[in-house]
Amino acid sequence: MEILVCIKQVPDDAAEIRLKADGTPDLDGVAQVVNAFDTYALEMATRLKEAVGGEITVISVGGESARDALKTCLAVGAQHAFLLTDPAFEGSDSLGKARILATAKAKLEEKSGKPFDLIFCGLEATDKATGQTGAQLAELLNLPLITNLTDISYENGTVTAKQETDFGYNLIDSAAPCVVTVNTPAYAPRYPTIKSKLAAKKMPIDPISLADLGEDAGKVGKQAALTRTVRFAEPPQKVAGVKIKEETCEDSARRAVAMMVEAKAL
Amino acid sequence: MSQYNKVTPELIEQFRQIAPNRVSVNGDINDDFTHDEMPIYGKACPEVVIEATSTEEVAAVMKLCYENSIPVTPRGAGTGLTGGAVALCGGVVLSTTKMNKILGYDKENLNVRVQSGVLLNDLAEDAIKQGLLYPPDPGEKFATLGGNVANNAGGMRAVKYGTTRDYVRAMTVVLPTGEIVRLGASVSKSSSGYSLLHLMIGSEGTLGIITELTLKLIPQPKEVVSLIVLFENLEECIAAVPQIMLAHLQPQALEFMEREIVISSEAYLGKSVFPQEFEGSQVNAYLLITFDGENADQLDEIIEKASEVVLEAGALDVLVADTPALKKDAWAARSSFLEAIEAQTKLLDECDVVVPTSRIAEYLTYIKSIEADYGFEIKSFGHAGDGNLHIYTCSNDMELEDFKSQVHDFMKKAYAKATEFGGLISGEHGIGHGKQAYLSEMAGPVNMRLMKEIKSVFDPKAILNPGKVCLKL
Repeated sequence: MEILVCIKQVPDDAAEIRLKADGTPDLDGVAQVVNAFDTYALEMATRLKEAVGGEITVISVGGESARDALKTCLAVGAQHAFLLTDPAFEGSDSLGKARILATAKAKLEEKSGKPFDLIFCGLEATDKATGQTGAQLAELLNLPLITNLTDISYENGTVTAKQETDFGYNLIDSAAPCVVTVNTPAYAPRYPTIKSKLAAKKMPIDPISLADLGEDAGKVGKQAALTRTVRFAEPPQKVAGVKIKEETCEDSARRAVAMMVEAKAL
Repeated sequence: MSQYNKVTPELIEQFRQIAPNRVSVNGDINDDFTHDEMPIYGKACPEVVIEATSTEEVAAVMKLCYENSIPVTPRGAGTGLTGGAVALCGGVVLSTTKMNKILGYDKENLNVRVQSGVLLNDLAEDAIKQGLLYPPDPGEKFATLGGNVANNAGGMRAVKYGTTRDYVRAMTVVLPTGEIVRLGASVSKSSSGYSLLHLMIGSEGTLGIITELTLKLIPQPKEVVSLIVLFENLEECIAAVPQIMLAHLQPQALEFMEREIVISSEAYLGKSVFPQEFEGSQVNAYLLITFDGENADQLDEIIEKASEVVLEAGALDVLVADTPALKKDAWAARSSFLEAIEAQTKLLDECDVVVPTSRIAEYLTYIKSIEADYGFEIKSFGHAGDGNLHIYTCSNDMELEDFKSQVHDFMKKAYAKATEFGGLISGEHGIGHGKQAYLSEMAGPVNMRLMKEIKSVFDPKAILNPGKVCLKL
C-alpha cells in the first residue's frame, strides 16, 4: 500500500505564546514541531503500513526549517520525504496549500509510477486550526473524504474508518484511494529509536519547487489567497473563581443558583 | 509538665493583629494542616494556623511564641515525606504559602530573589521565560522553595547540577527568638566564618524559618533530549549506569525504574509511553536519561555515544524523546510515580537512602533478597545517576500495626546496609520525625551531640519544630 501523509510544522502547542507590539505572535524561542494531529496521522499510517505492507511518503509545504519536521517523520515510520518549498508558496491560505499538496501528489505518483492508495492529513493544524486543508485536498483530487478518524483498517481495496462523533463513532467504508483526516487515536505516537533517528538523519529530503510542480504561480501564494488573517487575539485571561461559603450547604446551593440566575446562566 | 504553654485567646487576638484574616483556630483548621504526604507517621492538629505574608509578620509571631513558650511548626506546601511539617506539640503552624512572590531577577549575576513560599513549579516556569534555568528538579513540583531548601531537596537533575544547596546564595531567616538575620550574600564565593547559611539548608525548620531566598540560576541549555533505554532485567539496567559515567557523557538526569512501577504510573495517568515488550522480550527495567547541550549536532553526538554504551551494556533498544511532546510524556510518567503509588496503596512507607552509585545494583539485590521476609510489596525507583534510591513498602491487606512493625524491621536492615555501603539514610527527603529512630544509629553519639548543641544555640527553648531531626520528644 502506498500512503501519503501531509504534515505541517507549527509552533509547539504547549508553549504559551503572546502577541508582539505589532499584534503578531511572538514565536521567538518557541520550538517548531510537527502538528500534533499530523503525528497521530503518521502513527496511524505507520500501523496500517505495518499491518498490510507498503511505504509511506511524507510531504510538507514550508520553509527550510520544515526539513526538521520531515526528518522527525522519517524516524518514526516514513520512508520518503519531500519539502514543498518556494518563495512563491509563501502566504498561501489553506486552499493554496491544498493545491500545492494536490499537485505534488500527482508529480510524485508520476515520478515513482506508483499511485497513492491513501492520503492522510491531521484533523487540523494546532496553529490556525482551520481544519480545511484535508477537505480541500480531497476536493481538488476528486477523491472520497473521511474526516475525524480515530482508527483505520484496510482490506481488499476497501478502507474501513472509525469516525468519532459526539455520540460514539461511525464505521465508514470507502474504496481506496481516499483522503482521511485524523483526530486523536487511542494510542500515542511512537518514539524514534536511536537507530531510526540516526538513519533518518542520513535520508535525503528533496525540495520540490513551483517550477518542479509546473503549478501556475497565480494560483498559490499570498496573491491567490481567498482568506486572510485580519488580526490575532490572545485568549481572554481567566478570571478568578468565586468561593461560596455560606453557613449551610443548602444556603451555599441557594446562593450558587441565585448567582447563575443573575448571570443568566440558568 | 510540658515545657510548652497552650495558645490563649489573648495570644490569638495578638496573632490576628499581626496577620489579619489569616489566622485559623481549632475547628476551622483544614485537615491538610494536620499531616504531610506520609500520614503513616501520624497526624496532629495545631491550635492555630497563621498564614504569614512577610518576614516581619513571621518575626512578630515568632517573638510572641518565644516569649510565651508556644511551639511553632513552620510549613510550606506540606509535600514532605517524613512528617517534618506536622505540629506534634500543637501550638502554631506558620504557613509560608502566601509568601509567594518572585521578587526579581539579577540577570547580570544570575540570581533570583524569591519569598520562601514560591512554588518550585512557578519559579521553574518563570525562569524559563527569562531564558534561565533553576536546576534543582525534585519530583514534587508543587513544593515551596523554602521547603526545598529546608530539606536540601535533590531531584532528577542532581546528577549534573547538584542539589538545592548548590543554588542557595543567601537567605533571610527568622530565628526562634524572633530576630531576623540575613545569611550568605549574592556572590559566588565565601570564606567568611562558619557558614550559617549551609547550616540552615537541610535543617528542616528546626533552627529558623526561611522567609526569603536568593537563588542561583544558570543559562537555559539550548537543546535537551531524553532517552528511554529498555532492559530485560534490572541488573543489566543498573550495571549500565557506571558505564555512562565512565564515558564522561554528563547526563543532566539519569533515573532507573522497574516494570511494575511504570505500569502503575501509566495506569494512573491513563497513557502508555514506555514499551512493555520489545521484539518478543519482556522489558523489565528502564533508564530515563536526559542530556543537554548547546546545539542539536553536539547533542546528537552525545546521544549516539550514550546509546552505544548502553546497547553494549545489554540494553534491548534506545528510544529518543526529542520533541517537546515526547519529552513531556516520558517525564510525566516518571514524575507521577509517587502519586500513582499513593493512589493505589492503602498502607505506605518509604525510604530514600543514598549509596555510592557503583553499589546501587548490589544494594537493590540485597533489598530484593529480604522482600520475601515481609508481608508488603516493595516498589523501587530512583536517581541512578547519584545513588539516591526511593524504596516504597506498599500493602493493601495488612493490619496497620503489623505493617508498621514489619516496616520498622525492614527499614532498620535497609538503613544498616546503606550505612555499611558508605551511604546515608536520606538523600533528599530528610529526617522529620518519621526517620528519627534511625538517624542516631547512623550518625553516632558524637555527631548527635553536636547536632543537639547546635539546635540549643539557635533555639534555647526548643520551641521551633519540636520533635524533629535530632531532638526527640
